[in-house]
Amino acid sequence: MDPLLLARLQFATTTSIHFLFVAVTLGLVTLLVGLQTAGFLTGKPVYERLTRFWGQLYVINYVLGIATGIVMEFQFGLNWSGLSRYVGNVFGAPLAIETLVAFFLESTFLGMWIFGWHRLRRGVHLALLWGVAITAYASAFWIMVANAWLQNPVGYEVRDGVAHLTDFGALLTNPTFGMAFGHVISASLVTGGLLMAAVSAWHLLRRTSDYALFRTSLRLGLVTAALAVSTLQGFGFAQFGPVAQLQPTKFGGGPERDTLVADWTARYGPGDWDPPVLSNVGLGFMILIGFTLGALWLLLPLLWRDWIIRLRFPLWLILLGLPLPFVAMLLGWIAREVGRQPWAAYGLLPTAQAVSPVSPGLMLASLIGFSLLLGALAVTNWTLLARHAARGAYDPALGRPPAPDTDPHHQPVLV
Amino acid sequence: MELAWYALLGLFFATYLVLGGYDYGVGLLLARRGPTPGSRATLAALGPFFLGNEVWLVAAVGILFGAFPRLEGELLSGFYPAVLAALAGVVLVTAGVQLRSRPVSGTARAGWDRVVVVGGVLAALGWGAVLGGLLQGVPLSADGHVVGVGHLATPFVAAAGLALLALVAVHGATFLTLRLPAAEAPALARLAAGLVPAALVAVGAATVLGVLSDRVRAAVARPAVAVLLPLALVAALLTARAALRRGRAGVAFAATATALALPAPLVGAALWPRILVSTADPAASLTVAEAAAGRPTLALLGWLALPLVPALLGFQAMCWWVFRGRIDGRAPVYW
Repeated sequence: MDPLLLARLQFATTTSIHFLFVAVTLGLVTLLVGLQTAGFLTGKPVYERLTRFWGQLYVINYVLGIATGIVMEFQFGLNWSGLSRYVGNVFGAPLAIETLVAFFLESTFLGMWIFGWHRLRRGVHLALLWGVAITAYASAFWIMVANAWLQNPVGYEVRDGVAHLTDFGALLTNPTFGMAFGHVISASLVTGGLLMAAVSAWHLLRRTSDYALFRTSLRLGLVTAALAVSTLQGFGFAQFGPVAQLQPTKFGGGPERDTLVADWTARYGPGDWDPPVLSNVGLGFMILIGFTLGALWLLLPLLWRDWIIRLRFPLWLILLGLPLPFVAMLLGWIAREVGRQPWAAYGLLPTAQAVSPVSPGLMLASLIGFSLLLGALAVTNWTLLARHAARGAYDPALGRPPAPDTDPHHQPVLV
Repeated sequence: MELAWYALLGLFFATYLVLGGYDYGVGLLLARRGPTPGSRATLAALGPFFLGNEVWLVAAVGILFGAFPRLEGELLSGFYPAVLAALAGVVLVTAGVQLRSRPVSGTARAGWDRVVVVGGVLAALGWGAVLGGLLQGVPLSADGHVVGVGHLATPFVAAAGLALLALVAVHGATFLTLRLPAAEAPALARLAAGLVPAALVAVGAATVLGVLSDRVRAAVARPAVAVLLPLALVAALLTARAALRRGRAGVAFAATATALALPAPLVGAALWPRILVSTADPAASLTVAEAAAGRPTLALLGWLALPLVPALLGFQAMCWWVFRGRIDGRAPVYW
C-alpha cells in the first residue's frame, strides 16, 4: 500500500476524533467559567451544583482531547518528517508556542482545579478555571496560526530548499487565520451550548429531579448556541473571499485556478493539482447544517414563560439536533484540509514530499493500531459521558466534599 | 543559542522522565494484587500532579519541533516502533488513570487498572529503547534519513528498555512510600527496596551489553560520561535502598528521581556535539547545531521562553506546594 495514503488516512482519523472532543472542551469550559463565576458572585448553591455536574462531563471529555492531541503532536514527526525538515523552521514555532504557552498551563491548572475543591480558597479555585479557559483559547489560537500557515505560507524565505522564518508577524496577520479562528471558536460554542441544552432537555423530558437546575442550563446552553451560530455563519461566509483568492484550486474553476495550475505544472511537473471533489460536497452539507442550526433563534422566544419546556416538542428538536454540530465540524475541516491537497503547505511543499520514508507495513500497523485504540477510547468516553449525563446532578464525584471524619486512617472513601 | 535550547529540551525531557516516571511506576504497581492500598488510594496519590506530569513530554516534543525540527522528524520516524510503543503507553495511561473511577462496577475498574499497567510498561520500555537507540547510533544515510528500523533490534536496546522499566517501578513504589498514609509506608518501603536488586541487574545488563556493543563504542564521543551513567544509576539505587530501609522516604525519592533525571542529559552529553550518530557513514551524522532551527526562529522562541519558563515552573511548584505531604482520608479523591 501507498505510505502517503496511509499517513493521510491516519492524520484524518486522529484529527477527526480530536476535533469531536476539543470542540466540546472549548465550548463547555466557556460555559463553566460563566457558571462558576456566577456562583462566586451570587453565592447561590445552584451554581456550584451546576459547575460540578457540567465540570464532571467536561473533565471526562477532556481525557480524549489530550489523548488524541498527543498522538497528533507525535504524528508530525512519525509520519510527516518532511514537514519538519522543510518547513519546521516556520511551522514548528507556533506549535512549540502552543505546547508551552497553552497546553502545559491548561493541564497544570486543570489538575489543581479538579483537586482544589474545598481545599483552595474560592477565589483561587475560580481563577484556576479562568486559567484553564484562557489557555484553552490560546491553544486554539496557536494551532490555528499553524494551520493557517499550511493553508497560506507567509513570512518565510526558502534557502537551500528549506523554509526560514523572516516575519513572524505575518503568521498572525495571515488572511487564512483570523476568520477561521473566529469560525472554530464559534463552532465550539455552538457545540458546547447545544450539548448543554440537549442534556438538559433530556432531563426535562424525562422529568427527572432537579427541574430548576436543568431549566437554568437549558436556557444558558440554548442562548449561547444561538448567539454563537450567528457569529459562526458570519465568520464562515467571510472566509470565502480570501480563501478563493489565496487558494484558487480549493473551490475549483476560474481563470486564477488555471493560471496557478499552469504555474505549478511548469515548476513541479505535470500532475493532478486539484483537490478531490469530495471536499466540496462536504462543504455544501456543512453550510446546510449551519443554516439549520440558525433555527435555534426560533426557539428563543419560547423561553418566555417556559413554553419551550411546556410544549415538549422543542426539547425533542434540541435533542435530535445534537449530532448536527459534530457532523458539520468534521465536514468543515475536511473541506479546509482536503481542499488544500495535494499540498502539505499550499504551493510550497507537496504532501508526497512531506511523508516520512517509513515502510508501508509499519505505517499500516500504526494506522490500524491507533485508529482502533483511539476509536475504542472515543466510544468508551462517550458511553461514560452519556451515563454521567443521565445520572444527573446528584452528587457527582467532582467537587465532592471530603468526609467529615477527622481520623485519617479509617476512611471508606479511598476503597 | 543552540546549546541553550538543547539544554532546555534536556530539562523538559528529563523532568518528564522523573514526573511521568512515577506515574508509570505507580501504574505498574496496580498489577499487584493485595488488600492495601487499593487502586483508588494508589491513584489518589498521583492526584492533582498527574495532569501536570505528562505535559512535560508534550512541551519537550513541542521544543523538539520548534527548535530542532530536523531532529524531530528523523528521531521520531527513525525510531518508529519504539516511539509508537511509548506513545501508545502514554495514551493508555492518560485515559486509564483519568477514566478508571468513572464507571461504578468493580470489573470495569479492574479492566481500566489493567489498561494502566499495560500503558506504564509500554511507555517505560519505549522511552528506554529510544534512549538506548540514540546511544548505539542509527543508519543515517547521506541524504539525512534514517534507513529502516531494524537498527533497533539489538540486545542493548532491549536491555535499555528493561532498565528504564525497572527504574520506573522502583521510582513509583518510592513515590507511594512518600505519599500514602504513614501506616502503609513500611510495607511500601519494603516493596520499593525489594525492587532495587531487579533494577540493579537490569542496569548492569544494559551496561555490559553496551560496553560489548561495537556500535555503542563507536557512537559515544565521551566514554567517560557514558560510563558515569550506569555508575550514577547504581549509586542512586543503593542510596534509595538504604534510605528506604531507614524509613527516610524523602531521601529515597530524591535518589530515585535523580536516577530518572540522569539518563536524558547524560546520553546527550555522551554523544555531544552529535545527536544522531550515523553507523553507515560517519560524515552523515547529525550534530545538534545542524539539527537546530534557524536563528530567527530560535531568537523568537527565546524571547518567549525567557519569561515563560519561570512561569511554567512557578505554576508547577504551586501545584506541588498546595498538595504536598502525605494524603489522608480527607484528601480529595477523583481518579
